[in-house]
Order: sequence, then structure tokens, then C-alpha cells
Amino acid sequence: MALIELDDVSKLYGFGDATTLALDEVSLKVDKGEFVAVMGPSGSGKTTLMNVIGLLDKPSHGNYKLGGRDVAHQSAKRQARLRRDEIGFVFQFYNLLPRLNVLDNVSLPLAYKGVPPVRRAKRASDILELVGMRDREYYRPNQLSGGQAQRAAIARAIVNNPSIIIADEPTGNLDSHDSRVVMEVLSDIHHQGNTILMVTHNPELTRYASRVIYMYDGTIVGDERTKVGEMAKHARRIFFRKPRATDDDIAAGVSAILKDIPGEEVTAKPKRGRPKGRKRTVRRTRSRR
Amino acid sequence: MWGGNFKTAVSSLRQARWRTTFTMMGIIIGIASVVTVVSLGDGVKGQLTGQGGQLGNDVLTIRPGKLVNNQGGIAGLNLYAFLAPSTLTSKDVDSIAGLKSIKAAVPVEFVTNVATGDNGENDDVFVAGTHSQLFSLLRIDTAYGAPFSDDDVDQNFAVIGSSMALKLFGVLNPVGSTVHINGQDFIIHGVLAPSSGGLLSVAQADFNSSIFIPTGAADNLTGGHTNVLQILAQVKDSKKIDSDAAQVRRTVAKNHGGTVDFSVLKQKELLGVSDQVVSRITHAVTGIAAISLLVGGIGIMNIMLVSVSERTREIGIRKAIGATNQQILNQFLVEGLILSIGGGVIGILVSLLINLILKLYTSLHPVISVPTIILAVGVSVGAGIIFSIAPALQAASKNPIEALRGS
Repeated sequence: MALIELDDVSKLYGFGDATTLALDEVSLKVDKGEFVAVMGPSGSGKTTLMNVIGLLDKPSHGNYKLGGRDVAHQSAKRQARLRRDEIGFVFQFYNLLPRLNVLDNVSLPLAYKGVPPVRRAKRASDILELVGMRDREYYRPNQLSGGQAQRAAIARAIVNNPSIIIADEPTGNLDSHDSRVVMEVLSDIHHQGNTILMVTHNPELTRYASRVIYMYDGTIVGDERTKVGEMAKHARRIFFRKPRATDDDIAAGVSAILKDIPGEEVTAKPKRGRPKGRKRTVRRTRSRR
Repeated sequence: MWGGNFKTAVSSLRQARWRTTFTMMGIIIGIASVVTVVSLGDGVKGQLTGQGGQLGNDVLTIRPGKLVNNQGGIAGLNLYAFLAPSTLTSKDVDSIAGLKSIKAAVPVEFVTNVATGDNGENDDVFVAGTHSQLFSLLRIDTAYGAPFSDDDVDQNFAVIGSSMALKLFGVLNPVGSTVHINGQDFIIHGVLAPSSGGLLSVAQADFNSSIFIPTGAADNLTGGHTNVLQILAQVKDSKKIDSDAAQVRRTVAKNHGGTVDFSVLKQKELLGVSDQVVSRITHAVTGIAAISLLVGGIGIMNIMLVSVSERTREIGIRKAIGATNQQILNQFLVEGLILSIGGGVIGILVSLLINLILKLYTSLHPVISVPTIILAVGVSVGAGIIFSIAPALQAASKNPIEALRGS
């Protein structure tokens, strides 16, 4: 049985003329222990997919089973409990609470669970040891480097032993050295049998993944299993391909977009050639920042 | 979890120290003013009760102004009666004194509020004309000298309150000195022992700062236009006081051509009326003070709403890592409660300080009772819950995704 089971999940934003389809009948199964990298251009629905899987957002249509249980249509309270116990979030901008020290930040999910203070400090401390942050327990988030802050955030995500860790561009705000440290930490966690979903723009990072999913316009357009340590085959090709539009197309504006319709093959828009007019509403209403 | 909420709330309130201080200020002022007003009212009531004890249950008080009487009980006194010149006369005193059942009838005639002693003029004095029996009737002794006697009715003698002696002459015992009242000299015949500060019923004056002169001398001073504030009548048999009161009422009414434009009050009724007047005034002023409490509460709500929108992102993060709506709600409720209870406690402390200052520098004796404090704490807890529920609900109902995106 798959850990995550999405069945024709759609997510609509807005209404009337302004309706945008952030997820278009996405079906996906993720087994326990997989490290899934999710790639795709801005506005392709990666973050929306993460939010639905992470129970921050409810799908408009379709079913979502987590560990065999239908969770998409549960009460807000039950979803909050599932987020607390089953899901760990790692964000691009760390999202540590600035007023709390590292130890308190990491033990916050335990606090919401009702674990007594001494035990929660002990557990948080152990987890910080795991990510190499033990000596920074009493630092405030603004006293940490980006890599340290992200490792603290990872510690917070795993402190409740969740069944999934969702990382939305965890290295998006880090330099290459810090990126590497953070990825090694995530990799360690993966090797201990945890399931990780990671959104990334960096094809290099697919080396850490066991599976790469490509998204475009709210659908999954490619699904590739890779060996850990090897970069995904399509990753570089898709994201570093030369723009298909010519200079004439750019001059022509909207008419050029109409010419460029994605085909059957794994296709994704390079950043420079990204269509402008048509996708404006999409970009505004999608949850990517 | 509540401990965690408390810690979080304290840290976020400390973060915005000035804002917290000024928000609390509203509640502090509200609670302090309510507690002070109520304690002043209680204090005045306490003083009245003290005086009631002094008066004894064999004394009738006859006052100008008719008691509005419903169903035989004390319903209230027409407050206009206090503004009108007295309808009582010295003839009434004589008539009452002539009754068989009455042991003594003593008028209290207001003469002036200015007297001059060795230390100069004092305009905070109650100069009253009265009979020599007043002192035995009120059970007040003289500390120095002696009260004037019945034979001294036309003599320029004065019996002076203890604190007035100090104010006018600077000594405890000025017996034999001269006090100037309305251009005439009065010899100090006696100094009253300090009394517990009871008010002289309707006259609202303190024995300690009064000067009593014989009625004949008072008539001389005012050219006969004395203003009889009240008549105190002592009955021979306190068991028959009800029938005696009726008799006194009939006698005085006859003098007034059958009109009952006065009240005959027993000790208990006297207290009842004064109590009621004080209660009414206290309630009115408490109401005004409560408005400042309301404004303080709205201040809390306002600041909490600002705080919620400032911390949108924090709310988003907390929800993402598993806080339920209830837990977010609690967090903001605790914050509002800390503001209001903290303000309430500080407000009570401030009112204790005001109390002390009033006791030291004025003749008022405010009493802060335990029920008043319980009420104040209860009100601040209530205000905290009522005024932070809306911001807390707003925080709890935020959509986590939008909250995470917000700054």
C-alpha cells in the first residue's frame, strides 16, 4: 500500500473568468521510503501539490489517502493533528519563529502535542544533535546562518517522527556550501527510512532523490526513477534547453505563445521564454512566492 | 500548553513594551477609578453608620423636607428639599420640648462657615447655634473646659471641635481664648474630645471642625434669621418611640398650618436615607468610571487586532507545524487576558495608593473591601475575554497558506 495516494486531484483558485487550474487531475502514488524531487517551472503547481499533500490546502476535487486513510475531507482539527504528527514542513525561508530560541522552535510541535516541557526539551535536543545543531540550542534564529537556520527547521520538521517530510525549495535561499550541508542532512534522514518530498529548481539536487516528478501547468508530465547519486536524465535537458521561441516570436508577443503548445514529450518552458500574458492570473493566484 | 501560551504571550507583549504599557493604561485607569469611587461610597456609608451609633435609638431627628414614603418604608428623600431654606423654626423646637414624652429637644442652627482665631481666618468651619443638651444627647465629652449650660443661652460662649482648635489657635487647649464670628467675640468655653469623624447628619459637617454657640447668641449674630438645619429630640422611653414620633409630627404640622413639609426620622431611617443618597451618587459616578473601563477594553481589542495582523506569518507557521485553531485561539486569548488582568491588578494597586493619599490629606475615609477587589478582578477578566475573543477568533480562522505567504 502506498503511503501517499492522490487520485485525480484538482485544485481550482478564484471563480468565474478568473478561475485558474492549479492542479489538473493529478494522480500520484508515493511509497514509504521514497525521496521524491518535484521539478517544474514557476506556476506549474508544485507548491500547490505540496500544500495539498501537506494538508495545508484542500483539493477541489479528487481523493487523497495518507497511509490508507482518506484525509482530504476531514475536519480542520483532525488535519491540524495530522500535520502535527504525520507531516513535517521545511520551507525555503526557514520560517522559524523569531522570538523563540532554536530549542523552543524545534520543540514547538511537541508542545502542541502536549508533551511535558522537560521531555520535549530532551527530545528536541536529541534531534538537534542529529542535524549537528546541538551547540546552537539557545541561539535566536537571527543569530544563525542560512544553513544553520535550515537545519534547525529540518529538526523541527522531524521532531514528531512524521511519515512524510515536505521540503519546498529547502536550498532556494542558501549558498552552495550550505545547500550541500542541508541536502546531506535530508539524505541522512532519507537513509533512515523516511519519506521525503522536495520541490527544487536545481537539477543537481536530483542526485539525492530516488524519483523525480516533472510538473507543467498543473499536471505531472514526467515521472522518472533514478538511482540515488545519479542526476535525473531529463532534469538538465528540460531546464537548460534553449528557448524555442525565436526573436520574431518575442516581437510578436501573444501570437508566439499560441504557436508553442506543449506536445506529448516531457516538455517544460525555460524561464526566459516563459509566456507572459496568458499566465499572469496563474502566477498571481498560485501559492508559490 | 497553557504554560506555553503564557510564555509566548509574555514574550510577545514584552516585545512591544510601550504598546503593552499604553494598552494596559486604559484598564488601569478604568479599574482604579471604579475601585476608588466605590471605596469612597463605602467609606461615607461607614461614617454614617458610625454616627448612627453615636446618636442612640432614643433620638428622633426632625429635618426639613418631606420624606417620600411608599408603603411605609423608606423610599427616598426629595433632593430638592436640601436646596430650599429650612422650614423648621425655633418655635417648633419649643413645641417639641413642651411635649410630655420628650426629654430634650435641641436645634442645630446653621450660622456661618467663617471664624477667625489667633491663626487668622478659617472658612472651613461649621458654626452652629444649639442648646447645651446637644452634647449629652450626642454623647460627646469635652476634652478641655466644659460645655456651656442652659443659663448661658445669651452668652458669647463657644464649644469648639478638636481639629478646629488646632487650626484656629495652634494649640490643643485654647479654652479662654477668643474666636471672632461675624464681628463678635466668643470665648472658648470647652473643646470637644476628638470624635470618630461622624458626620452631623444633614449638616454633613464634622464635629471635629465645628463650633457650637448658644442659640441666643446665634440669634444675635444673625438678627433672628436662623436656619434650623435639624432638630434632635430625645424621648423619655425608647420603647414608645413610634407613638412619640407621631406626636412630634402632629405638633410640628400644627405649627406649619397642617402641612407636613418636614420629616421625623428614627435612627434607622436616618441612616437609610443617607445611605440611599450616598448609594445613588456612588452608582452614578461608578457608571461614569465604568465608561473609562469600556474604553480601555476597546483599546485592548484594537491592539490585539493589530497584533494578529502583524503576526499573520507566525500564525501560518504555527498552523503548518500542527497548531489547531483552538490552540491559536487560546494563545491570543491568553495574551488579552494578561493585558486585562495585569491592568486590573495594577489598577487595584493604584487605587490603594489613591486611598492612602485621600486618607492622609483629606477628611475622607475610603474603604476598599474584599468584595470590591473581587469585583474589580472579575470585571477585568470579563473585559479581557470579551474584548480579545474577536481578535483571537480572527487569528484562529486564518487560512494557513495565505498566512504563510503574508509577511
